[in-house]
Amino acid sequence: MSEPLLNEIRATKPAAPPALHERVRAIAAQEPAREPFLARLEWRRLVLVAPATLAVALVAGTVIGLTRDDVGVGGGDQAVSSAPVAESRDAATPETTFQGTAPPAAGAVEPSPGRLQRYDAELSLRVDDVEDLSRATQQAMRIARSLGGHVAAVSYDSTPGGAGSAQLTLRVPVARATDAVEQLSGLGTILGQRYGIQDLQPTVDDLGRQITETEQRIARLVRQLASTSLVDDERAALQIQLDEARRQLAELRKLLSGTRAEGALATIHLSLTTEDVQATPGGDSRIDDVKDVLAWEAIALLYVLVVAGPLVLLGLLVWLAFRLHRRRENARLLDQP
Amino acid sequence: MTLPARSRPTRSASFAATAEEHLDDVYAYLVYLTRDRSLAEDLAADTFEKALRTWRRFDASRGSARTWLCQIARTTALDWFRAEERRRRREERAAEPEAVDGGLSPGLSPELEAALRELSAGEREVIALRVLLELDGDEAARVLGISPTAVSTRLSRALKKLEEKVTVHV
Repeated sequence: MSEPLLNEIRATKPAAPPALHERVRAIAAQEPAREPFLARLEWRRLVLVAPATLAVALVAGTVIGLTRDDVGVGGGDQAVSSAPVAESRDAATPETTFQGTAPPAAGAVEPSPGRLQRYDAELSLRVDDVEDLSRATQQAMRIARSLGGHVAAVSYDSTPGGAGSAQLTLRVPVARATDAVEQLSGLGTILGQRYGIQDLQPTVDDLGRQITETEQRIARLVRQLASTSLVDDERAALQIQLDEARRQLAELRKLLSGTRAEGALATIHLSLTTEDVQATPGGDSRIDDVKDVLAWEAIALLYVLVVAGPLVLLGLLVWLAFRLHRRRENARLLDQP
Repeated sequence: MTLPARSRPTRSASFAATAEEHLDDVYAYLVYLTRDRSLAEDLAADTFEKALRTWRRFDASRGSARTWLCQIARTTALDWFRAEERRRRREERAAEPEAVDGGLSPGLSPELEAALRELSAGEREVIALRVLLELDGDEAARVLGISPTAVSTRLSRALKKLEEKVTVHV
């Protein structure tokens, strides 16, 4: 194209009229309004936010994992974790349990003096070899007897020079249960333990009250039967009631006796094994907890991606289609004079 | 064709100063795009209103203020074209050409004025950007949303067509 024509176009460049200058000056004089939050979001800022969010998630996962309540403290040579758990079956018979692989804190699971309680304990120990297994089994039975208890059941299984195991059920007076557990714990390396205390006192009190009431009822019936004014039918009916009351009284006394027996002796299940079962060190447990929390975060993220992914993809496709349509429409509009 | 380089304003300039500096360019671009000086005035005012609202987001490192303002002006004009087309369709007057307000520019020769008017809006647009506003290829490409090569091709065709039409009118 000829240069004169180009020069003519340049030389005759339209200039904005003074009125437009005034309009634009008036517009420019306004203080820029604060943009909405979404309008201020930029991709570059989001790119910075993403790693920051990831870092926060990692730090939060680590902190939560390290400070979780169910992570215990390593104890002694076992260097193992423990997890005290308190729960109750019902209000009348609360039960306290302790699970873990380290000895409980002194007094934490001791029976309360003066109250009737059912005390159960499970103790798993590892011994070095079959000889130790035999020695520990004998020693466990001696401990039970020395504390005024007895051996309820014994199961012993071993091969000479090989692996072996033994299961003992020991009954010792509840008052000596803690001593028994402490002495038994010294027979090997603790692999796991569980203690449970169930308060039987409300049950005993309730049974005692029922027995008293039943005895009073029986005395009343006996007095009525002693009367000479009763007709035969009335006497027969009262006699039936008396027999039933006596039967109930016998059952209640039997229940009370059984409950008292339950509360008198603690049951200790002792497992001894020569198998090298790996106890979980406390440090690894903490790392595992951190891993758990991070894994849950990853699962949550994956869940969000799975749920939101298709919607984001759909939104992206709609946006691309809209953009393509807009470009075509613009081209058509600009193709007109 | 050699085009002089323009200084690139920085973000530190105030909006008022930037608007004053580039108002003529934006107006000239819109006049060529719409063929209507009165409409171009309105669209220029709309452009600066929009620019004011998004002034905080303007980043001088990604392009000059003039390029940014021309992009906003183009979007504003295209929105108007779309709205106008819908209005015409509604009123079933699509076939009727709209009366335009005066010529493109008072100093243009009648032949060149007529030739420019016969070009498509897209052709006038690329001439306005590259010849009138003297944007370089990259800047024009940024405004139009196409590659610099496509800008060159489009400009070449538009100028050739313009020359042919000027010859016809002479």
